[in-house]
Amino acid sequence: MERIISALRALGVEQYVITEKHTDSLESFYVRKDLDLTRRADTTVQTVQVFRPFEKDGVKMLGDSEATVRPGMSDEELRQVIGRAWYAAQFVANPWYPLPEGVREPEKAERSGFGETSLAEGMKTMTAALFAADTAEDVFLNSAEIFMRRTHTHIVTSQGADVGWERTDVWGEYVCQCPAPQDVETYHQFNYRQPEAGELTAAVAHALDMTRARARADAAPKTGTCALVLDREQMRELLSYYVDRAGSGMIYQKYSPFRLGENVQGEDITGDKLTIHLKATEPYTGFGAPMADRHLLEDGVLRTIHGGARFAHYLGVEPTGSYRAISVPVGTAPMETLTASPCLHVAAFSDFQMHPLTGHFGGEIRLGFLYENGTVTPVTGGSVNGSILQGQSHMTFSRERWRSADYDGPLAVRIEGVQVAGSSEA
Amino acid sequence: MKVQQSAFILEKRPLLLRLRDALCAEFEYASVLAEDTTGRNYQVSRHSVSIGEGDDMRGFVVKALDKGRYAEYSFSDLTEQSVPAVCAAVRALLAADVRPEGLGANTYAPPAEEPTVFSGATEYETDPASVGDGEILDRLIALRDRGLGMDEAVLDFIAQMSWQRYTKLFLSREKDMIQSVMYTTGMVAAAAMQGQEVKQSYVPCSGLGGLEIMAGMERSVAPCVETVLALRHSEPMIPGEYECICSPETTGMIVHEAFGHGVEMDMFVKDRAQAKQFIGQYVASPLVTMHDGACSADQTATYFFDDEGVMAHDTVIIDRGVLKTGISDLQSALVLGTEPTGNGRRESFARKAYTRMTNTWFEPGTDKLEDMIASVKYGMLLEDPSSGMEDPKNWGIQCMVNIAREIRDGKLTGRIFSPVVLTGYVPDLLRSITAMSEVAALSGTGFCGKGHKEWVKVSDGGPYIKATIRLG
Repeated sequence: MERIISALRALGVEQYVITEKHTDSLESFYVRKDLDLTRRADTTVQTVQVFRPFEKDGVKMLGDSEATVRPGMSDEELRQVIGRAWYAAQFVANPWYPLPEGVREPEKAERSGFGETSLAEGMKTMTAALFAADTAEDVFLNSAEIFMRRTHTHIVTSQGADVGWERTDVWGEYVCQCPAPQDVETYHQFNYRQPEAGELTAAVAHALDMTRARARADAAPKTGTCALVLDREQMRELLSYYVDRAGSGMIYQKYSPFRLGENVQGEDITGDKLTIHLKATEPYTGFGAPMADRHLLEDGVLRTIHGGARFAHYLGVEPTGSYRAISVPVGTAPMETLTASPCLHVAAFSDFQMHPLTGHFGGEIRLGFLYENGTVTPVTGGSVNGSILQGQSHMTFSRERWRSADYDGPLAVRIEGVQVAGSSEA
Repeated sequence: MKVQQSAFILEKRPLLLRLRDALCAEFEYASVLAEDTTGRNYQVSRHSVSIGEGDDMRGFVVKALDKGRYAEYSFSDLTEQSVPAVCAAVRALLAADVRPEGLGANTYAPPAEEPTVFSGATEYETDPASVGDGEILDRLIALRDRGLGMDEAVLDFIAQMSWQRYTKLFLSREKDMIQSVMYTTGMVAAAAMQGQEVKQSYVPCSGLGGLEIMAGMERSVAPCVETVLALRHSEPMIPGEYECICSPETTGMIVHEAFGHGVEMDMFVKDRAQAKQFIGQYVASPLVTMHDGACSADQTATYFFDDEGVMAHDTVIIDRGVLKTGISDLQSALVLGTEPTGNGRRESFARKAYTRMTNTWFEPGTDKLEDMIASVKYGMLLEDPSSGMEDPKNWGIQCMVNIAREIRDGKLTGRIFSPVVLTGYVPDLLRSITAMSEVAALSGTGFCGKGHKEWVKVSDGGPYIKATIRLG
């Protein structure tokens, strides 16, 4: 840090943000139940963002650019990379905005329950949890990758910030395989900031059950319009529409029509009204200011525009930093109610996507359950192509809860009138 | 001009040789990969200007084999003092057992190596670093202003350009290889409102080389704006199976997502790819010949050797409809008893090597595009692919496409559907190909993930193809 600050002073840089990130990651790669490779990555990177005030055509500007400082750089190389960023910043003609003040605080204690655990111990615990549900012969874990990661972040800014914190998490992926009656697989990811071994085991058990169901699914649903039930990982992706559209950059650049205090869920809501909270998963913003949980939507009304310093200033709102995690109050309907009338419950997509600019969501169906005429039929193939703009006024949320690293809320949602491309031809 | 080698890596080379020797003295097999990557991103839009660094990375990874077990250690710095510490870290990693009770371990023999000394560099005409940030931004601003000025309905017009230059040094007992590569990508994108939806169109350009790649961007402004204006009148897709003509970019996405991932042979090792059972069989129309390889084309995924020290290949995966072989990293080849194909790639020195695609493409055919369109009774011309997802086990397809232009009685009607989801069973789609245009084009602006991570630069493409595809 001292070398960087010294180089900044030598260049006459008065406004800057220095972020140092050290990551220690222990990684295990399994094929079936055999360890195939062990890795460790012990890496450090420092980024320096410089801000350069200037005038262009009589307008006050603030340009910025960044430099990456790697361990082993000589003083001369350090001056060169920061100098390049300082030079570049004079061409970045964005209207001036003030940089947020930061805080100077002692290092934050580890928030995660992994804080007292070595990476090796955490790895053993979570690997055991992952394989604990892999006990059947007809369906099993094909392969898995497990990453125990401890990250230490230190931010120093020209605006008074000097903060640091450590975070440990476990993340990874696993593939379930069921060879009969059809040989199929399903792909899953996980990420926990607490040693939630029970939750991981339960998630794997559910994934194995779904894979067994996929092996029995041999037909695509019929083409047409139907009620759609989405659950688990798809919930965060679906609701990302509201998080993304409430971003200050999207609003200022007119990509989003959202306005504070306005109902952004649409009129004539016959389903559940949406409430979404933004959850701070890091203690500080990128400028070293404390991050707090915030109300994004209350009963469909926008309460917060979130984002960084520049667009927040242009819009006249408070800079909040970036949020990844959300929490949503659960609904009142049990899962059985969501599927009580005809619907397509898609349990797994190839890659479920929400497009924040258009509001369209969808993907290829890897496993669905068709509820009609009192029967439940597993289906596979075809695709969903829906629009949140059309569906948001009649969404029903489950009372069951589901949690992941960036979502805590209803397990499932039912949306009426979604287009499905399936087995019958146009 | 040849891309220059990284001064950092050249300076560290004596230390890296010492590290290699120390590791090779202790372990059955050891390799060292050093990486120094630098670059720049430039982007302008109506309300924003930015200059940022590329995916700048600098670091090292060692791989060692002991008692049949592999371990890897990635780290950021190497000094005289840290050489013994790196050896100790690798030793500790190989000695540690992080498996809970009941789990086993795979064992490997060391790879056979031919003595290889290699030094190579790609070429460029104009070094972006020498042109300067101000001039590059001025060019992008001129493109943006032209785009914004074309029609009041244009909400935004983005011009973006980035370049990346890297040097990699690979050392093992028998190998001493160094390469330096530079590629450049660019894009123009336009946005316009359709009700509450923001419609977007984009035109990419990319290539091996420097700033000369940007010449293509200037021709892209008008088509990009025309497309986004047309998208304001687009309709939701009517689900069904259609005769389709796919643009080279859409062909590329099908080649990459639908088939390319399915022939990554680390998937064969895990019994995760249906293609393993189809070697030697017809999986596509006899019109189809498919390549992958870092030396199969000059594009953004071109290199001389992979991250495991295997020389680049031009692999013919499908030859006139018949599946010939897959592509492979070194460790998978050891298990399968096959030759590695130079496809062992890492996102960076800090990540594992997997079997990854490089430049992946269909050979062109002999048909003329206008004849292909004229042959369609009712169907769609598919353009602007945005993303896709692999399903090697079950050969399902998911590709998201921005534009389907209606064709009726052999003519484009002007009607547009958007967005569109392509789905289906890969062999059905590939066997349904009945025509391929006479020119192929590759595009390399995108990155490819393995699952949902491990992003590496790839290119893909081919000719216009005519096929039957389910759209939703």
